[in-house]
Amino acid sequence: MRDLFTPLAILSCALLPLAGCKIVKTPDPQAAATEVAGTTDEARMAAYAGEIWDSKVLPVIAEHAVPLTGLRGKIASEGLDAAGAAHGLRPVGEANPWNFAATGEGVIVEANTASRAAKLLVDIDADGAADVTLQLGPVIRGTSLRDAMPFLIFTDFRDQIEFAKLAGALNALAHAAITLPEGELVGRTVGFEGVFTLRNKGDAIELVPTRLTVQ
Amino acid sequence: MKLSRRHFMAGVAVTAILPVARPVFAAEKGLIAIITPSHDNPFFKAEAVGAEARALELGYETLVLVHDDDPNKQSELFDSAIARGAKAIVLDNAGADATVAAVQRAKDAGIPSFLIDREIKESGIAVSQIVSNNYQGAQLGAEEFVRLMGEAGNYVELVGREADTNAGIRSSGYHDIIDQYPDMTMVAQQSANWSQTEGYEKMETILQANPDIKGVICGNDTMAMGAWAALEAAGRTDVIVVGFDGSNDVRDSILAGGIKATVLQPAYRQAQIAVEQADQYLTTGSTGQDEKQLMDCVLINGDNAAKLETFALSA
Repeated sequence: MRDLFTPLAILSCALLPLAGCKIVKTPDPQAAATEVAGTTDEARMAAYAGEIWDSKVLPVIAEHAVPLTGLRGKIASEGLDAAGAAHGLRPVGEANPWNFAATGEGVIVEANTASRAAKLLVDIDADGAADVTLQLGPVIRGTSLRDAMPFLIFTDFRDQIEFAKLAGALNALAHAAITLPEGELVGRTVGFEGVFTLRNKGDAIELVPTRLTVQ
Repeated sequence: MKLSRRHFMAGVAVTAILPVARPVFAAEKGLIAIITPSHDNPFFKAEAVGAEARALELGYETLVLVHDDDPNKQSELFDSAIARGAKAIVLDNAGADATVAAVQRAKDAGIPSFLIDREIKESGIAVSQIVSNNYQGAQLGAEEFVRLMGEAGNYVELVGREADTNAGIRSSGYHDIIDQYPDMTMVAQQSANWSQTEGYEKMETILQANPDIKGVICGNDTMAMGAWAALEAAGRTDVIVVGFDGSNDVRDSILAGGIKATVLQPAYRQAQIAVEQADQYLTTGSTGQDEKQLMDCVLINGDNAAKLETFALSA
């Protein structure tokens, strides 16, 4: 139980300054984020990410999540674009890769929790080999969480810097949302839900979990 | 009204003294102005060449101009393009803040602008802003840099011109990765303004004060070329240098065992897409795309450098 409360406590602390801020009069997160004048991009985007996390981000993932086993099969048999058209999320424009929300369960075959870029390698088809890497952070590669959100449009942000800070803030919330149990992880079963970006068919799947349960 | 008239006359005057128009053939679809920084940097030349080639293919006449990163000169070039009755402007701009007024002036004159490479700080004025995903690219470059450094050691960062959003975003992308490694220590961080000459000079000075450096990460390839030349001159070819852009110069250096890596921005294709969107907008009234569009970058190192040519990677 204590493990469960730690991330919650961190999250509440992160949100507290915002909650106590008198400038935030309006319930519209976009306006609220832009009205916090004088703060850094990082602080404003962290505040905005905090506002949309439960109300918008997690519901989008829940709505679009498909079982990873079936999704991998579809990508293998019908190709990335067909799978993307059916289940993927991506911003419009040439050269934007597909993002997928997925759920799955498997056995942890490798765990690196000492690194700042902590990760679990998980076998989901019982062949003993890793099929998916779960990025635990705090260093989480990529911008999957941001890019998978249909309501986050680059045009609505001042520039790439602000938009990048938003991606970082969402990754930080994903990191804060998961807790690992004590002890050896390899060999244990893990259930997960989250988002990943796939540029090419056959690339390794590096999923950013927003929900993680180790049994 | 007085203002726009004055600008119009200024434009006429500028046009009269600028012999840079290149009407290749009498195109029926009108004129597209292509305005970029100086072609001294092959990156901007590739943009201009890519945009011009696509515009000619699509039946436009072209007017290729350079602003030399001078917002005042850029402003004059806009007046010139407006005065020439350009149908559209393809622009790699001279400053995120300073460019807003020029693009607005073109819009007021009924001329849509299609921005590439660099953003401006307003949306709703240009029709398209197609930029490389500099943050994603910088993270790729930083990951490779950290790997090459063995996750430890003293390093130097050469950043680009401060008025340019891309200088900040690349630096931010680098540090969001590198700063996660406690044994990586930045001993100097200086702007070399995207310039090869300044890259050389800054590197020479930094090296004197910090002879114990193991790596240099640069905001673009021209600064990386300058830094590498200074390191070579000092007999320090052991220093790991990483750039950003994917130029042929850095490709050749990588293949010769000099600079270790860079990040390709698909500049040639990006410029072509801008022209295609301009054509679609002029033909149908819409590009069918969001205004701001990101294009992903690709890491270039010894494994794939041979496939790189003029800011494009062959299959």
